[in-house]
Amino acid sequence: MGTTDDYPAAGLAQLGIEADEVELGVVAAAHALFWPAILEILALDLGDLEREADPDLSKAP
Amino acid sequence: MSALDLPLREQAGGIAAGEIDPATLLDEALARIEERNPAVNAVVETFPEQSREMLAAAPEGPLRGVPVAIKDEWPLPWRAQRFGAAEMMKAVAPGESGPYRALRDAGAVIVGVANMHEAGAGSTGNVSVYGPARNPWDPERCPGGSSSGPAAAVAAGLVAGAVGADGIGSIRFPAAYCGLTGLKPTFGRSAMDGHHMAAVTTMIVSGPLCADAADARLLGSALFGEELQAAGVEGLRIGVIRDEVSEDVDPEIAAACEEAVAALAAESGGEVREVELAGLPASATAAVLIANAESLDGVSPDQLNRLSPELTPIFRGFAKYRMLMPAAASLKSEQIRTLMRRRAAQAFAEVDVLAWPTVPAPAPPLEAPLVELPSGTTTADQANVRGAGLANLTGIPAISVPVGQSANGLPLALQLQAAWGRDELLLDAAEALERANERRWVECRP
Repeated sequence: MGTTDDYPAAGLAQLGIEADEVELGVVAAAHALFWPAILEILALDLGDLEREADPDLSKAP
Repeated sequence: MSALDLPLREQAGGIAAGEIDPATLLDEALARIEERNPAVNAVVETFPEQSREMLAAAPEGPLRGVPVAIKDEWPLPWRAQRFGAAEMMKAVAPGESGPYRALRDAGAVIVGVANMHEAGAGSTGNVSVYGPARNPWDPERCPGGSSSGPAAAVAAGLVAGAVGADGIGSIRFPAAYCGLTGLKPTFGRSAMDGHHMAAVTTMIVSGPLCADAADARLLGSALFGEELQAAGVEGLRIGVIRDEVSEDVDPEIAAACEEAVAALAAESGGEVREVELAGLPASATAAVLIANAESLDGVSPDQLNRLSPELTPIFRGFAKYRMLMPAAASLKSEQIRTLMRRRAAQAFAEVDVLAWPTVPAPAPPLEAPLVELPSGTTTADQANVRGAGLANLTGIPAISVPVGQSANGLPLALQLQAAWGRDELLLDAAEALERANERRWVECRP
């Protein structure tokens, strides 16, 4: 069982994306920065809110 | 004084009246760039031959003969964009982009291409294949990004107007850091075609960066392809919120913005109302996730394995990390977009504009773009996105206006946002604010 810290390097490897040590350091830093916010987004309970299909962003909903 | 130091509108008026020779003005702009640009690295390329050809062919438009700069984000007929990067994820070629045609048809003369943060991926402008652009107010500080060069070029007096792009605050951040007026238009209102992401982006718009609102109106009108009419702002209802975007900010910015909001209300005979707009932190995250997902259009692992080593490690690493962001989070972000569009519409039923600081702290050092906030030290990127994401996520227009200076002489800025299509109201409000403070901040120069 891996830890969340393993996810970036393992995920890139699964996708066949190569990364050197410096890039992996950036990836790890990005993961530390973004992952908590991503988890918060995923955990948000938006009920049955249906997203606008192809919204016209030039106008109010 | 050189005519180059006049506002954009006075340059245009002087040329139209036969009082300013546009050929001389162009020569002065080229000489000014040669003289001042080394200190700020705002303009990354000039092309006197093509500029003179544009001038020779310039129609009798509202900007005839006026030199302007354009961000390295769109192709020109003689030059493909480089996006501030050593390599782009998409193939690009020279061509007639929307902003180019808009400027050409208005009679403007593109005198140079302006620097930008590498691949548009930063709010500071301290990373670029051309080297960092520098803030004319303090060359050791960030000019803001990603439209770093357009802002630095105007603030340094190389040109009176420049075209930038705003995907998540990329016009407003540099406007704030450099003491300019920068308009992020309603999504879809300003020229965008020819941008390498035009077919997939729901976030990026082109817009003007100028010294004041009247010049932004003139340059914006060219980009919109329609005159942005001025009107009054009688009884302006200004909404403020009690949230981290207005409270977790540098005390000097908080004070300057509070004073500006009160002055705007008094000038317009309006009022300040506290409004509810829950979900701003989630809207910033959602904006980032959607922008990231859109940037992955057509990107393959193989392509990521062949990235140029000349790209910065930050760009290479982050481009790869984007592939790991869950699709479920992007879909949830679209739900948040729907939610925030509805909440914004509700807010704009109560008020005409929403006001909060454009950025929570003044321009940070180039070497270490960190900012000090009441909540602690953080990166400028993390701090800046909080107040900028809403406009890109929902499509509403926003404007950054200078409202003061810090004790160490750096510009401070207020952001105003309005309902969809009310770009003109933002310009009217910015002009009212200029009147209220007797144009003190728009006439400051580094």
